[in-house]
Amino acid sequence: MATPANEIRVPDAAPGSYQPDRPAGKLLQSQALHLREALVQQLQELSALLAVNPTTLKTEREVSLYVHRATAILHTHAAKPKRK
Amino acid sequence: MPPVGLDNLKHIVVLMMENRSFDHMLGGLSLVMEGGKRKYPGINGLTGNESNPDNSGNIVKVQPNAKFQGQLDPDPDHHFPGVDLQLFGGTPPGPGRVPNMQGFVKDYFTQTNDVNRSHNIMYYFTPDKLPVLTTLATQFAVFNGWFSSIPGPTICNRAFAHYGTSFGQVGMDIFYILDPILSAYERMIQAKRTAKIYYYDEQSSTMEIVNLLNNQPQIFGSYGQFIADCQGGTLPEYSFIEPCYNDHPGPGGGEILASDQHPDHNVQEGEKFIANTYNAIRSNAALWDSTALLVVYDEHGGIYDHVPPPTCTPDGYSAKPNDTETGEGFSFDRLGVRVPAVLVSPYIPKGTIVPGTEDPANGRVFEHASIPATVTNFFLNGDAKRTDREKKASTFLDLLSDQKRPDADIPYFKLGGH
Repeated sequence: MATPANEIRVPDAAPGSYQPDRPAGKLLQSQALHLREALVQQLQELSALLAVNPTTLKTEREVSLYVHRATAILHTHAAKPKRK
Repeated sequence: MPPVGLDNLKHIVVLMMENRSFDHMLGGLSLVMEGGKRKYPGINGLTGNESNPDNSGNIVKVQPNAKFQGQLDPDPDHHFPGVDLQLFGGTPPGPGRVPNMQGFVKDYFTQTNDVNRSHNIMYYFTPDKLPVLTTLATQFAVFNGWFSSIPGPTICNRAFAHYGTSFGQVGMDIFYILDPILSAYERMIQAKRTAKIYYYDEQSSTMEIVNLLNNQPQIFGSYGQFIADCQGGTLPEYSFIEPCYNDHPGPGGGEILASDQHPDHNVQEGEKFIANTYNAIRSNAALWDSTALLVVYDEHGGIYDHVPPPTCTPDGYSAKPNDTETGEGFSFDRLGVRVPAVLVSPYIPKGTIVPGTEDPANGRVFEHASIPATVTNFFLNGDAKRTDREKKASTFLDLLSDQKRPDADIPYFKLGGH
């Protein structure tokens, strides 16, 4: 695979490059706003579902629709971050 | 018969970096000399005489002084009105206006209020500083004419890479799907093909949030998953990779640096990220043989480039004067500033240079709508509802040839150390 002739060294970033406390730029602030918007949409979906009383679901069709919506909310793609 | 390289192709991988112009990253290749001649005469980079006026009336030439970090703070303006100033040098909107690329220093002065610091926007990297990007550009294919899709910021430009349109957006606002135009990933999934967006990790996440993360979470994976998929031979047919967008603590308290190269993030960390992505593909022989990797930047980040962006096919949407903040609407009929783009495959002849606007006879113009256009044409025979803009966008897989290059001719990156 790699030989000295075709191997190219890629140096690390210099010590001190890590700056997690630098001010966040417009892109990152926009990203957070967009995530909030997505969360609001999720909450609206959750609110609508919580407004349904499961004891009123009488048929398998009704229950399956409820289960589908609940599972879609609960079975999130990303693992939940650990609580500190 | 298609070329062998195209016949073998099973995977397209796109890595989209952040906010660097072509001249800033690759323009210095044009100044490399060998045997008394320019080593890469076909690359439309810098001559060293390109310039902008500053606010004191001085002429500021491009200079090889770019640093990895600490030089472009504040983050150079790259929103629509700022880019308008960069492109047109302060000529107000109106009929017949032609971009002259003379307003970069003036625009950066509006942020720095310091004449000397405003010159930083003209700085470029010498090729030795960027061993990964310049190696890929000179060993595989480099595009002289790949432009950002909009003379504006990240979100709307990335939208073109996913949808072939930004649905009328020219800024950083959330955009919503207005037509039954699906993202390239949704088109693939509907057609029973495979596609994924790999974001770096949950602290960095994706810039494609509301439309896809909210509605199609199944198409997302982490960068760790990408590496595992490369090793395990389970990479989807189409993959889009997002770098790390912020500095944050890693698992167990380590330091994870942003690798997107967005100013003022460390450019070397981005080099490592590109190299790591390339190595992951190259290390699996079957995958390497069947993959085309495109490394491209979403927009120029306010940094100087000398090539005026050309006109383009409109996408059918328009932005109002209030949205552009220039007093004039925008019909999506011209492109943004030129960005670095390289295509990697063992079937690409060494040193391929795709001519751009500098060659009126043979030049080709690419932009981010070229990405969904290429994916949709190759995997789906073009079968999807798309904007005219995407339908007419140049595609890039014709660069793959019949000849596979020997392994000894292919670079490999060794990461780490100082």
